[in-house]
Amino acid sequence: MLRLQFRWCRALASAALLAAPASLVAQAATVTGHVASEGGAPLAGVTVSIPGLGVGSATREDGQYTFTVPATRVAGQSVTLNARRVGYTPQTVTVVLNAGTITHDFVLVAAVHELEQVIVTGAGTSQVRERVGSVINTVDSTALTRATQPQNVISSLAATAPNVRVNTQSGEPGASAFVIIRGATSVTGTNQPLIVVDNQPIDNTTLSTNGGDGSTVTQNRAADINPNDVETVQILKGAAASAIYGARAANGVILITTKKGSNGPTRYAITSTQTFDNVIKTAPLQTAFGQGSGGNAGACTAADCNATSLSWGAPLTAGAPVFDHGKEIYHTGLTSDNAISVSGGNQRTTFYLSGGLTDQLGVMRGGNNRYDRSTVKLSATHQLLNTLTFGGNFSYFNTTGEYVQKGSNTSGLLLGALRTPPDFNNQPFLDPISGLQRSYRFPHPTAASTTDSRGYDNPFFVLDNSANRSELGRFLGSLTASWVPTTWVAFNETFGADNYTDSRIEALPLTSSSDPVGSVTRFQITNLEIDHNLTATLSHAFGSNFDSRVVLGQNLNSRRNRQVYVFGDQLIAPTPLALQNTVSFTPTETRSLRHVAGYFGQAELDVYNQLHVTAGVRDDGFSTFGASHRTAAYPKVDAAWTFTNLVGNGGWLSNGRLRAAYGETGREPGAYSTISALSTTALFGSGFGDFIGTKQSGQGGLVTGGNLGNTDLKPERNREAEFGADFGFFHQSSDLSVTYYNKRSTDVILPVPVNAAATGAASALVNGATISNKGLELVANVKPYSSRLVDVTLGGNYGRNIGKVESLFKGVQFIPYNVEGFVGSGGSSTVGYAPGVIRGQDFVRCGRGEKVTLPGVGALANVDSACGAGAKKGALYISGVDNQPVVNPDEGVIADPNPRWTAGLNGQLRIGRVQFSTLFDMRRGGQVWDGTRAALDRFGTAAETNVRTSDGVFGQNILPGEAVAGPGAGKVAFHSLSDWQTWFTTTGGSAGDAQAQFVEDGSFVKWRELSLVYTADQPWVRSHFGVSSALIRVAGRNLHTWTKYKGLDPETNIGGAEFLTQGFDFFQNPQTRSFVVAVTLNR
Amino acid sequence: MTGALQSMRNITLAGALGAFALVAACSDNFLTGGELSTDPNRPTQATSAQLFVGVQASTWAELSSDMARVTGMWSQQLLGTNVQYVDLYHYGVSEQITNGFHSALYTGGGLVDIRRLEQQTAAAHDSVFHGVAEVMEALLMGTGADLFGALTYTRALTNDQNPPLDPQLAVYDTVQVLLSRAIVELGATGPTNAGPGVSDLAYGGDASKWIKLAHTLKARFLMHTAEVRPTVYATVASEAKVGIVDAADNFNAVFSGNAQEQNFWYQFDVVQRPGYIAPDPQFVALLKERTDPRLTTYFNADASDLSDARLAPDAPLPLVTANEGLLLWAEGLQRSGNDAGALTRLNQGRALAGLPAEAGTPTGRALLSEILLEEYIANFQSIEAWNLYKRTCTPNLTPVVAGKKIPARFPYDISERNTNTSIPPLSAQPARNANDPANTVSDGTGAACVGQ
Repeated sequence: MLRLQFRWCRALASAALLAAPASLVAQAATVTGHVASEGGAPLAGVTVSIPGLGVGSATREDGQYTFTVPATRVAGQSVTLNARRVGYTPQTVTVVLNAGTITHDFVLVAAVHELEQVIVTGAGTSQVRERVGSVINTVDSTALTRATQPQNVISSLAATAPNVRVNTQSGEPGASAFVIIRGATSVTGTNQPLIVVDNQPIDNTTLSTNGGDGSTVTQNRAADINPNDVETVQILKGAAASAIYGARAANGVILITTKKGSNGPTRYAITSTQTFDNVIKTAPLQTAFGQGSGGNAGACTAADCNATSLSWGAPLTAGAPVFDHGKEIYHTGLTSDNAISVSGGNQRTTFYLSGGLTDQLGVMRGGNNRYDRSTVKLSATHQLLNTLTFGGNFSYFNTTGEYVQKGSNTSGLLLGALRTPPDFNNQPFLDPISGLQRSYRFPHPTAASTTDSRGYDNPFFVLDNSANRSELGRFLGSLTASWVPTTWVAFNETFGADNYTDSRIEALPLTSSSDPVGSVTRFQITNLEIDHNLTATLSHAFGSNFDSRVVLGQNLNSRRNRQVYVFGDQLIAPTPLALQNTVSFTPTETRSLRHVAGYFGQAELDVYNQLHVTAGVRDDGFSTFGASHRTAAYPKVDAAWTFTNLVGNGGWLSNGRLRAAYGETGREPGAYSTISALSTTALFGSGFGDFIGTKQSGQGGLVTGGNLGNTDLKPERNREAEFGADFGFFHQSSDLSVTYYNKRSTDVILPVPVNAAATGAASALVNGATISNKGLELVANVKPYSSRLVDVTLGGNYGRNIGKVESLFKGVQFIPYNVEGFVGSGGSSTVGYAPGVIRGQDFVRCGRGEKVTLPGVGALANVDSACGAGAKKGALYISGVDNQPVVNPDEGVIADPNPRWTAGLNGQLRIGRVQFSTLFDMRRGGQVWDGTRAALDRFGTAAETNVRTSDGVFGQNILPGEAVAGPGAGKVAFHSLSDWQTWFTTTGGSAGDAQAQFVEDGSFVKWRELSLVYTADQPWVRSHFGVSSALIRVAGRNLHTWTKYKGLDPETNIGGAEFLTQGFDFFQNPQTRSFVVAVTLNR
Repeated sequence: MTGALQSMRNITLAGALGAFALVAACSDNFLTGGELSTDPNRPTQATSAQLFVGVQASTWAELSSDMARVTGMWSQQLLGTNVQYVDLYHYGVSEQITNGFHSALYTGGGLVDIRRLEQQTAAAHDSVFHGVAEVMEALLMGTGADLFGALTYTRALTNDQNPPLDPQLAVYDTVQVLLSRAIVELGATGPTNAGPGVSDLAYGGDASKWIKLAHTLKARFLMHTAEVRPTVYATVASEAKVGIVDAADNFNAVFSGNAQEQNFWYQFDVVQRPGYIAPDPQFVALLKERTDPRLTTYFNADASDLSDARLAPDAPLPLVTANEGLLLWAEGLQRSGNDAGALTRLNQGRALAGLPAEAGTPTGRALLSEILLEEYIANFQSIEAWNLYKRTCTPNLTPVVAGKKIPARFPYDISERNTNTSIPPLSAQPARNANDPANTVSDGTGAACVGQ
């Protein structure tokens, strides 16, 4: 399986490295003792170790620890003995190591600011936090459990760290999460960070089967991980922190460390969580007017008749039945999450074994939206020799899901549901006589209509389709070896693989509106990533005041991807929904293989235990780089100065530290983008959809591809400087951290048009664009009160990022993303804005020096003078001809979905054994194009179309809140229902050109979580139930959203993590509100 | 003992460090070779036959997709009845309306692959296939000159920063040279001259038919220059004479009817954009007035759309026909003073269309008018109807937008203009091409030309 094609010399060398001989045996030393908290309670899970020798263990439930130092290493020397546990200030003492028993007890003090916490810094390296000169945010397992979307480890990072922006696509089971760290740095791809689990990079692709706009939700692949197995998540944000990952680190790196066993008695934990989900909000719909047009009823009664799609009909008579089509499709969803873990070990062997079962049944009726995940994991280490430890982490994930058609898709759930007139009953969704789908536009289907479109699908028919499924099996495993031949050198090797096969089907039955003849798509994705990471760490102390360390490393990585996509068109029989039951097939196969050979080195110097400097470089060779740029080097340097160690930490300031860092990271070009090749898939024809292919009448054809390969392509490069300060106050009971960064991304790859007459191609990839991101981050934690009975902790984070595309390529002002969004409101990267903004048209506005053709005024009229003196800047120009605004023909940026700032606020209160926690998530700015409202205005089902019986005046009851000016300002534009209908079905709705009118502020404050945990660890718990502690947790999630946004939710997006441009609202499902009950038993 | 232990440790350590250095220093072909350097999804080699299939598909699109529909509206054989087609019908000309058909002259399936085909067939000493490729190049670039005028040609595909435009008449001259050479090469015999064989979707590899096609194309493109080079008429006639005069030799785009192998008009008018085009009532009236049997072969019973036969997914689309050849012959003879010969060829053309011979023996302008009208009708669904109108102002069409002229060329693609400073901005591009000065009178009637 592992066909990495290593040359013999490498294999031989690795073998030589690991076959080092053992040492001898003599009289050992046993180190033992007891660890307690300030209050005197025994502390379990405290790691007590002698770091210099790499030996240690963890305390048991009774706070006792014991470990043995092999006699070969016992020489009467002085060593440091360390005790550390998350949430407590670590302690270090010096003991003299002699044969026999050495006893030392610790009392640890609780702290929020953990200077001595060891954090993973990537590629097998680690460091105590105080010595790291760049920002690495840590999220621990308790925060993950409390998250709003705890099933997806990426979703669960929402609001936990500044400038780590997380958007979860919707509340549907299996929805993807989009995460972007310190702004997008590229104009192609979705800028998702590299995910590394236990030193093994894993795949986190989000790949929709049939396009992000429609189709169904798709998971981001990191969602396969069982969050119950996660110990901590560390986020390498800046280039200095992530430079060790070179050309894969441009978007930051998320390091996930899973739980491990430790020396001590075997521990058991069983957790069972039941979550009840409801939709937070449904679309506001009108219930006063029925199907029809111009105030006249529009239902039809004949067999196979087509009724109007509009709800611009007659007022409904009082008492006539009406239906809330936004609500009737939902019920209460239930997620059941059960996990068990067993862990323990002795001095030489540790293990952690776990299993997890998650069954999520979504909020949509019909039972065909679910996401089930089963996981097993074993992590173990064994100290084979005193100097040599082997280990392994093995996980298997099995996820299966059933999904519902969504989004911009006439067979999508909400598109048909919300457009249905209030007086039409969508039940039954099958015609009682013909047994075929009936919809409001096709209410009386006969047997002759098996391949006719229903206009829009009946939502209950959509929910009844059980043929959108995925089945995934994934293996994630690594072998580790650690060899410490002597005190000053250590070797670490990780060799691992991440392998999955995702097998999907997406089928549309007969009469589906988007493909009435039916279709079956089979999509199979196989991905294999193999990673070898070898480091040598050499440390040396020059006297007592200078510590140094050098890390040298090699990383080899191979990524292989295989995709087979087969589209089967036209069902033969109504069922089964399987490929062989279709008339014709179109297969597409895509394969890729990418290799990385990286070498890195870094040197660390610690001076007087107060100044710490790290300098490093990674030299990356990628198979995807152009031949003339086969390797690229990424340097970094950072420094941290704990000035309070020099000036003293008297009074309220217990610790103060300044830091500065500079680093470079990169982003590789796509596979094979250096190659010019022939095309079998070129199409010849016009933009109106009439095309023929290269293959004709049974003869295979080949033509030159439209995109030129670029053999000079090199990786994109980020250069980032960051400066910051960290303060601890009042004996570390409070802290404050401030960081400023400035990141410049150059050589950003983009496709540019080339002259066809000169080259024979239409476009070429070039290193052209420049993007900047600057920002500020604040993190503060306060522990205002702490006693044996009561603990209060408050924390907050604030992140601000200003992203800007500085330039794209000469003459290129924007790149459209044709698959993101819509004609008239499409995703783009535009010079002067952050990557991922929405382009479209607006109305003519005053005070902007516009010159456009105005009816009644003339061609290229001066808008500002037509608006008249005193017109507010930005006011709508209202024409005197029809008292309506005028559409500006020029297209530009209409919405920037990137927030101005984001913040998280959390609080914990412990009273005895009861712990309360809460979390708020804030976003300021970040515009959303409310395309759902645009469409519902047009179809006349939106609640705001109730205005149709009044006279319409712009700036008052139509486009309220807009300032108006010009000759028609304040005058009645609409006198009748028909006037309103004309407006909403043309310029004022989704069919209009001026989609800027549906752009809204997406700012929100979300109350993400409120929970209560009761921990029962009294003696009677053990004596009665045989467990050492029991936790009972009750929580509410997404309790409330404060927002001015008119649609379902400003957080959702039509495409999930497969879109760079967020901020499209178009008939995707809402987020959910949850009630959670969980029980955990520990032994 | 400690000493021995220490030295053993040191040896081990030295070995380990050496091994580590070896691992780190191992430079190998880890980054190149196999699927790392070769794209497993896209081929890089093609046989001449495979290139030729692609070239044919691309050429069919150039000649019979949007360009044919839009020029059909501008020559008032069709109406534009919905969305963008309403705008196009009303001469809404912008740099986007060509839909990429300017750059398609050069990109995959266009000149870049014709040149590749010419190189491969020359290397294989297959003169027949090489001649076929030259005919395709002449057809493509001649049509490009018809649509856009001056074109990048002599410096095409040289990777020049801003390749210059060749004057339009120079492009037509090159087209004649290519066709003359092709006619010679297509006559080659011998074992290496296998020709395209079954990859030739129109003629099945019949070189004699390609020779005829080359002659008719010579006549066509010479005729396109006749307005500024009136001496060409006799050569038009002599080339047309040895060209396609039998409907069995028609050069058609053929479609199997399978997915991505379907007639463009079927795809546009039936599948993708029903209701965007309709028969122009003036054109329908003209056919009725002449009791032309093509009224029912072109259109459906109530003349509200094209006929079902013309809108079948596998309906062939005529690109160069015997009817066109005979009428070029007739016009060439008439314009060089041979009315009697011209009438014979006109009647031959009428017979092909199912029309009786001309009543009486019209001569002079009356005869020319008959020939031109017949050309106008015969070239329905082809760019040639518009080329004829531009050249002769026949029929004497009234623009559908008062005060505007009927468009006489397409703007260059915006993508080409943006990437080549040799291409002037739209405002500086000519309204008419060099071969086509505005007519003062309609050649058919002698009346003042109203549309140019």
